[in-house]
Amino acid sequence: MYWLFGLFVLSLALAGAQALTPAHYLSLPDVARLQNLLSQQFTGLDSAYYSVVGLSKLGATIPDHEVRRICQFLKSQLDPMSIDSLFFAAETSQAISGCEIPVSNETRDILLAAVSEDSTMTQIHRAVSALSSLGLPLASQEVVGALTGRINKEDNVMAGGGVQGAWHYSTAARLSQQTELGGILEEIEDLTARLDDLGGIYLQFEEGLEATALFVTAAYSLSDHVDMEPPLKEDQVIQLVNSIFSKKSWDSLAEAFSVASAAAALSNNRFHVPVIVSALGPATVSHSQPTLQLLVTDVMSQPLALANVLVESAYSVASKSVILSHASFTLNDGVFELNFMSSRPASGYYQFAVAVTGDTRLVGNHVELKVKVSTEVVVNNMDLSVVDKDQSIGTKTTRVDYPSKGKSSFTADSHQNFAMAFQLVDVNTGVELTPHQTFVKLHNQKTGQEVVFVAEPDSKNLYKFELDIGERKSEFNSISGTYSLHLIVGDATLENPILWNVADVVLKFVDEEAPVAIQPKTLYVPKPEIQHLFREPEKKPPTVVSNTFTALILSPLLLLLILWLKLGANISNFSFTPSTILFHVGHAAMLGLMYVYWTHLNMFQTLKYLAIIGSVTFLAGNRMLAQIAVKRYVP
Amino acid sequence: MSNSVISVISRFLEEYTTTTPNKLKVVDSYLFYILLTGALQFLYCLLVGTFPFNSFLSGFISCVGAFILGVCLRIQINPQNKGDFLSISPERAFADFLFAHTVLHLVVMNFIG
Repeated sequence: MYWLFGLFVLSLALAGAQALTPAHYLSLPDVARLQNLLSQQFTGLDSAYYSVVGLSKLGATIPDHEVRRICQFLKSQLDPMSIDSLFFAAETSQAISGCEIPVSNETRDILLAAVSEDSTMTQIHRAVSALSSLGLPLASQEVVGALTGRINKEDNVMAGGGVQGAWHYSTAARLSQQTELGGILEEIEDLTARLDDLGGIYLQFEEGLEATALFVTAAYSLSDHVDMEPPLKEDQVIQLVNSIFSKKSWDSLAEAFSVASAAAALSNNRFHVPVIVSALGPATVSHSQPTLQLLVTDVMSQPLALANVLVESAYSVASKSVILSHASFTLNDGVFELNFMSSRPASGYYQFAVAVTGDTRLVGNHVELKVKVSTEVVVNNMDLSVVDKDQSIGTKTTRVDYPSKGKSSFTADSHQNFAMAFQLVDVNTGVELTPHQTFVKLHNQKTGQEVVFVAEPDSKNLYKFELDIGERKSEFNSISGTYSLHLIVGDATLENPILWNVADVVLKFVDEEAPVAIQPKTLYVPKPEIQHLFREPEKKPPTVVSNTFTALILSPLLLLLILWLKLGANISNFSFTPSTILFHVGHAAMLGLMYVYWTHLNMFQTLKYLAIIGSVTFLAGNRMLAQIAVKRYVP
Repeated sequence: MSNSVISVISRFLEEYTTTTPNKLKVVDSYLFYILLTGALQFLYCLLVGTFPFNSFLSGFISCVGAFILGVCLRIQINPQNKGDFLSISPERAFADFLFAHTVLHLVVMNFIG
């Protein structure tokens, strides 16, 4: 059993893996939001760099007066001694045309000095970028040497690996094309192994979004520079896309810049271009809207220049029959269209397998789409009748046409059944439909009570509903009166759900209770209070009676004494020996203890005292009786 | 018929008063007293009701138990039965009587409520 389940999960996973398509991308509102963030006022050279270069990557043009203002800003803020400052200024001036940063020999020396294995990777990258942007000569071999030396020196390559890698590759991308850079490109594979795979959907560095985005930008810039495909698999590219574009609001300018750079890199490189296929509006077609419209764009929502979209297969989810195979979409004003209704599909859901071709760079270009075909329904042949239960009286069938209401009302009592038969038909194709919701509602006009029943289709898709009035009287609370009869029809694929007041029905119930207005729910109303009845003491006899009987009980004692006296019982033999006295005292004490037990003590205490007194009495009594025995003994 | 009953009874009473030793008569009167007490208690219960039932039971059982113990004592101290109770002297019988009564009283007092 369990291996079947495992196989099922595995097949699902494989299916998922094969059909991996981007789940996140920058939609047009997202791009606008990003541009907005990058258009803020500059606070320093770094924010100027992020804003200007970021905007240029997103394809936004900067107006002329802005260019002049930025150039002024750069020149005024520049610190010729700082490598970071030089980097930001140089890169920004490259992005806007017609801005020259003055360079002195000292500047050049400082930058060249920074290119050594003693500087951090960031510094090497910034120095090299500044040198190349400012048009200063650069010795590529030296740079490579510095880079490799730096890597060897890095103790903790684990931490900050993504960013380090990014600077490494970006730096390499600035070098002349004669340099042997293939080895560095292959290193990308090692670094991708350190990406965290989250659920098979996301792939990102531990350090976060910025590192991942910078890494992607650098990898593609290097691969474009070297003209060799980066060692990234298609699935990995899509997972990277998901990670980078899943966040729609960015914490810092640097993060926004990294996302903009990654978006630019992924839309415009020589090897991998992820494709985003989405439906324009809801993916629904109907007779009034027969065309399915798709938008095919890159990750920045820019339409792809060369693309052919075709449907590889379209099959019905319910019947699994293939409706369409190898049909191509036509490009109409930037939107890909296909007239699906021309294939005459029945209403329901269809699974489309769409492929985008035309460019070998396209990644994630096989997409699955679920398309709904909706239609309109009409009720045909609605026949209402009141049938006697024993079938002795012939049925009278009344036809009611939708959407009018039946002219006369129907009367039915407990001896009869009320019957309804109708057909639900697709307006356009004439095919019988079985929607999900077909209900018959009876609404009591006076009390507001509603009773709902389900109408079921038979094998020929003819709907039949029969109400046995006698049997169902409990649902109506046996309240007779006029009920309005409604037919309710609804389904996800119907464009016109129906609520139709078919007719009025007068129901007569036997033993009717007085029509009481329906209390909606009396469950939560306080219930009548329960008064606790304490246990009533039992009836006692009057005190006179008990007193009489007490006296009566004590009277035999009197009789006993009299009898004893008559017999001549006496205590003349009483000897005043210690044991005798002790015995009698002890015995009296025992009897007294009995009384005290009755009034005050419990069994344990009594037993304790009894043990003490009893043993004394016993010993004394033993002695006394022995003495009596001796006295009695007549040899 | 009644004649013979009366004559039997009178003969019995005559024999009793002459042949029974005094000691036994003392015990007999004690037994008679106990009997009366028990009967009266039962009468009360019949007439008035069983409330409180535990008290009635303890009282009644006290009478019944005392009666039985008294009968045992009478049997044991009867000189005519001496052959049956060779090892038990009258004193010993009386001591047993007292001990059994102690236990009986303990139980009755516990139950009387």
